[in-house]
Amino acid sequence: MRSILVMVLTAALGLWTAFADEAPISGTVKAVDAGAQTLTLEVASKGKTREVIVYMKPGAKVVRFTRATEPGKTGFVEQELPLSAVKVGWIVSATTKHEGNREVAEQVKIVVER
Amino acid sequence: MRTKPFACLTIAVGVLLLGLWIAQPPATRANGEKDDEKGGHAHVPAPFEYADAHMPLSLWTDQATIARGKEIYAVRCAVCHGDSGDGKGPAGVALPLKPSDFRDKAGVAEMRDNYWIWRVSEGGQVEPFKGKGSAMPPWKGELTVQDRWAVMAYQHTFSGHQGPHVPWEHPESVVVGRDIYAMACVACHGVEGRGDGSVGPTLSPRRAPQPRDFTTGEFKFRSTPSGQLPTTADLFRTVTEGVRSSGGAMTIGLRGHRIMPSFRHMPEEQRLEVIEYVKSLNRAFWERQEIKTVNVPAPPLVTAERLARGKQLYADAECLACHGERGRGDGPSAPTLKDSRELPIAATDLTQPDRFKNGARPEDIYRTLVTGLAGTPMPSYADSLEPDQAWDLAYYTLSLSNNRRRTAETMR
Repeated sequence: MRSILVMVLTAALGLWTAFADEAPISGTVKAVDAGAQTLTLEVASKGKTREVIVYMKPGAKVVRFTRATEPGKTGFVEQELPLSAVKVGWIVSATTKHEGNREVAEQVKIVVER
Repeated sequence: MRTKPFACLTIAVGVLLLGLWIAQPPATRANGEKDDEKGGHAHVPAPFEYADAHMPLSLWTDQATIARGKEIYAVRCAVCHGDSGDGKGPAGVALPLKPSDFRDKAGVAEMRDNYWIWRVSEGGQVEPFKGKGSAMPPWKGELTVQDRWAVMAYQHTFSGHQGPHVPWEHPESVVVGRDIYAMACVACHGVEGRGDGSVGPTLSPRRAPQPRDFTTGEFKFRSTPSGQLPTTADLFRTVTEGVRSSGGAMTIGLRGHRIMPSFRHMPEEQRLEVIEYVKSLNRAFWERQEIKTVNVPAPPLVTAERLARGKQLYADAECLACHGERGRGDGPSAPTLKDSRELPIAATDLTQPDRFKNGARPEDIYRTLVTGLAGTPMPSYADSLEPDQAWDLAYYTLSLSNNRRRTAETMR
């Protein structure tokens, strides 16, 4: 009985932690390091601005959205691009997980190219 | 025996965790509240730079403008705001601060047009939006004003509203200001802003000044040329400073002899809200094409020669006809003066700059000389005085003051 209760409690704590760790962030690109597979973003939160280094998970994608070119289609399509194509000043959003002391991105979306 | 307390403790902690989860989902680490669907879309008053930027009324329903807006929207806005204006564009859904849903009739109705163009122009790069993590880019560097209006007109179509986006179609856009007006202004300015509140005649029985009728478009204190409406900043100055009077029995005890109180104590945002409501009482604020303000050059040094020229101008411009030779408001024409409502009005006693309604700094007097005071016999001298002459006259006016020391400090 005790072991079951311990497992349930641990699971609850684990879920809490997991949901707390996954979150989208958005900000302006301040630096791109293709070698280290990182993006430095300037993000604003609750009135404060700070820099966040986002580490790209192996296999993580960087995508932009463009209009479909097929006849009769006008919606957006995803277009993948390498991290090195991301430029300083662009606004991106990233779905990240908190792993250790790092923000690890599974996907980065280009919001605005400037 | 040991198992039971441990089990209870475990269950209690589990229930506690579950309760916390339900009551307050965990926040993101970087961008504030998670799943903040409406956060950041605070419809705060637009700053002065945009407060007078009202879109021409006809553009809201002009098909060519809307078509142009649709083109721009598809390229620049839809990726976040969605092709259907629902805020769920492919890039927008990933943002912690969700893009506006233009199909939200209530949300769109609350937005004033000057707020709207502020947002399109500056994006999320200004507060309070920057601090909330807005990812919206500023478009003022890439889109002309006309193109920004076109985008707004197209975005407006998502809300389903057919007419122009103005306060008299959307009273909810000025409801905060209306409520403040009801508390702070209605006693003098009246329920409909016609200056017919019950207190006005008590403060100044059967003579000027009477509370302003906002519906006529005649505003005394402006930085705009004669015959034009004031800017929002002008109205803000009046609300903040109040209006001094030339005294009189009914103003005794009113702070600073103000016939209109100062609302300096009112938070700035509330002052701006009530001004937006006051503007909504007069459609001319939306119908004017261009806003020009009078340029007030940097005050020059005061010299004896300047004062001598000012004295001569005081005579040449016939100031002494109303204000009198010594500036006491006792000129030969003074007893006959009437305002635009045909009420007797006193010429200002220039020896008491503390009572100057439009301010007593040299630049205030300069501005008054150039703009005139609409609705009163005080004309604009914009066409008859060069800037240097206006300064001469402004400084001479101040020199008439009884309070020489304070005047000297003001002119320094």
